[in-house]
Amino acid sequence: MMTRKWIERIEGEASIGFEFEENKVSFSSITFPHFRGMEAILQSKPAMDALVITPRVCGICGHSHLFAAVRAIESVYANSGFPLEISPKAQILRELTLSLELIQNHFKWLYMVIYPELSHLLQRPIADSCRLKGAYAASLATKILAIFAGQWPHSSYMIPGGVTCDPTYVDTVRAMGILDELMRWFEKEVTGISMEEYLSISSAKDLSHVSGDMRDIDKMLRTAKMHKQGFSYDRYMVLGNHGFSNPAKYMHRRMAKVNPQLVMLEDPYTVNEKTYAKNALYQNNAFETGPLARAVTNGVPFIKYLHRYFRDSTYTRTMARSYETALLLNHCKMLLNSIKIDEPSFIEPLKKITSLSGEGVGIVEAPRGPLIHKVTLNKGIIDHYTLITPTQWNLACGSPQTPGPAQKAMIGADSIETATFTFRSFDVCSVCTTH
Amino acid sequence: MKPRLKVLWLQGVTCNGNTHSFLNYPHLSYVLETFEFLYHSLLPSTYTLEEISTCVHECDILIFEGAYDPRMERVGTSLETLVSYYGSHAKYVIAAGSCASFGGMFKHSDPEHITGLGFDEKEPKGPLASSPKLINLSGCPIHPEWMGYTLRMIADNKPIAVDELRRPKELYSYLAHHGCTRNEYFEWKVDSDHFGTKEGCLFYKQGCRGPMTHASCNKILWNDVSSKTRVGTPCFGCTEPDFPRINMFETKTNMSIPQDVPVGISKRSYLTMAGIAKSFHIPRLEKRLIDDDA
Repeated sequence: MMTRKWIERIEGEASIGFEFEENKVSFSSITFPHFRGMEAILQSKPAMDALVITPRVCGICGHSHLFAAVRAIESVYANSGFPLEISPKAQILRELTLSLELIQNHFKWLYMVIYPELSHLLQRPIADSCRLKGAYAASLATKILAIFAGQWPHSSYMIPGGVTCDPTYVDTVRAMGILDELMRWFEKEVTGISMEEYLSISSAKDLSHVSGDMRDIDKMLRTAKMHKQGFSYDRYMVLGNHGFSNPAKYMHRRMAKVNPQLVMLEDPYTVNEKTYAKNALYQNNAFETGPLARAVTNGVPFIKYLHRYFRDSTYTRTMARSYETALLLNHCKMLLNSIKIDEPSFIEPLKKITSLSGEGVGIVEAPRGPLIHKVTLNKGIIDHYTLITPTQWNLACGSPQTPGPAQKAMIGADSIETATFTFRSFDVCSVCTTH
Repeated sequence: MKPRLKVLWLQGVTCNGNTHSFLNYPHLSYVLETFEFLYHSLLPSTYTLEEISTCVHECDILIFEGAYDPRMERVGTSLETLVSYYGSHAKYVIAAGSCASFGGMFKHSDPEHITGLGFDEKEPKGPLASSPKLINLSGCPIHPEWMGYTLRMIADNKPIAVDELRRPKELYSYLAHHGCTRNEYFEWKVDSDHFGTKEGCLFYKQGCRGPMTHASCNKILWNDVSSKTRVGTPCFGCTEPDFPRINMFETKTNMSIPQDVPVGISKRSYLTMAGIAKSFHIPRLEKRLIDDDA
């Protein structure tokens, strides 16, 4: 018998049907009931309009969509023999604002989802102000983002050839001021130790120095036995190339190169339920994507340490996303310091977009993992647009023989509540999954 | 303590961008002290969406985000039922964002069935068509300060005057053009040659809708710091009923004259003024703003 449960407090709406054997979850089926048809909306539109439309796929990771869209169009240029030159400044700005979007996402997930849900699970209610902490930290990150991108959400400041903004050092100094404030807040509230010390953690002994909210979350995760459950395939996929990520797959405890062309889509497994999410696979295999995948393939010492002891448990997954926030804050500081203001923001493409035909692929690492945009242009008009989002990997709904990563991670949970918490450790976003 | 006003934040066909934009609001603690959220997808709420979907509670203010598709179900209950029930009990219904106001981006996923709450683009249509309760806060996404203003005005029992599209006049009588840092280039008709510069106006080539768009984006800045035009991105007119338009990075011209001219200005007046302004050459405006050689 299947018990169906609505999953709230996520981006959008999902429902999970649970099957139990001997009081443990034996199978779950994940469905996403809403569909907007973004790919159809994009069809027949001028290519540049994708830079306005695709951010609206998702209110929390729209900037990642913008970046993937611009990379997809630039790839059409390259494939047509007109590779575009992007100045180092424009590249740094794009990566900076992308990183800031990841940061705001992680803060909201930690303080508005994980912390309250974990407290709820352990029947240890926490103050409402906890959620506001997440919103506050996220708003500082988006403020820095907006200095260069004009606004967050829904900026369209990346365009083929660079970025639209032309900042001065007044802007970078202002951005640095806010970033300093956010890092100090992080040290005081989240870790209780200096950023430097936090970033050099590589063992349980180092972790014991952490105070602040992370100590509380760490303790609660272990009390809830999250280090002993939530295991998935221990296979990871990173496809976006950035300063904070390297494209690679990790399988059977080994790293290997990846070829994005081997990414495939399959129909979800459903029984009497309607769902609109297609499953993303690599050579028929399910892979986990997101911060844990990025940390394992990047060899982040602390997460490698946790992974060695607790593999891909819910604990490791949760710690990896929290820890990535610190890594990204540090990355942003480096990026801001390396902007050379006198470089061009935009280098005009030699070929007019209205004469551009062909195919292109844009891939970035979004908060939840690789985001792929594929576009076919005919004289600058969109013939065909395909979106493959990170949640299509993690939240794929496979059959009992081939469950997706989140489905597999929920097997063995002793209650719907603990299974749902594990589900949330993947940072659920239904709007992206179905688009 | 005064009882808190009950707010229900409901989502239709949406990207959740209005929810996330509002989380940037710097005075969220005021909001939580003054209002009780019956349901919000991320802020502390009294009920679950499942409890809300049973339609037994009542709210003072219904905030609706996303386009309206009567057939869409939230946790098993249709939007038609939810909006009809909560909308009829609420004193105010706030359409958060352009999808809820006019249909917006997601009207395009099914133009026949999807509308805003009270408008289908600019035609009155939908469950709250011609309702005096409706306040449209258009924009894609909503500006957090605009929502903050509306909520506080309601809490303080102050009247909110609205325009013919039911948008608060104090927010939407301004144009996105007002306060744009490129205004001088607009005045003297100096266009921006290409993207990525501080200089030049984006109205002539890059598709900027600032002079035709009712929005206070350059008065009340985004995220407290900036706006599209300040970072060299054209205004796409996202607060207007015809958003999203087509070819948004290009100005539609007839014989190299912009097809649309600023709101309320006749084409003849505009062309006369533009012709005169353009006949002058002003070296300062043709150079970089910050002159490296000086």
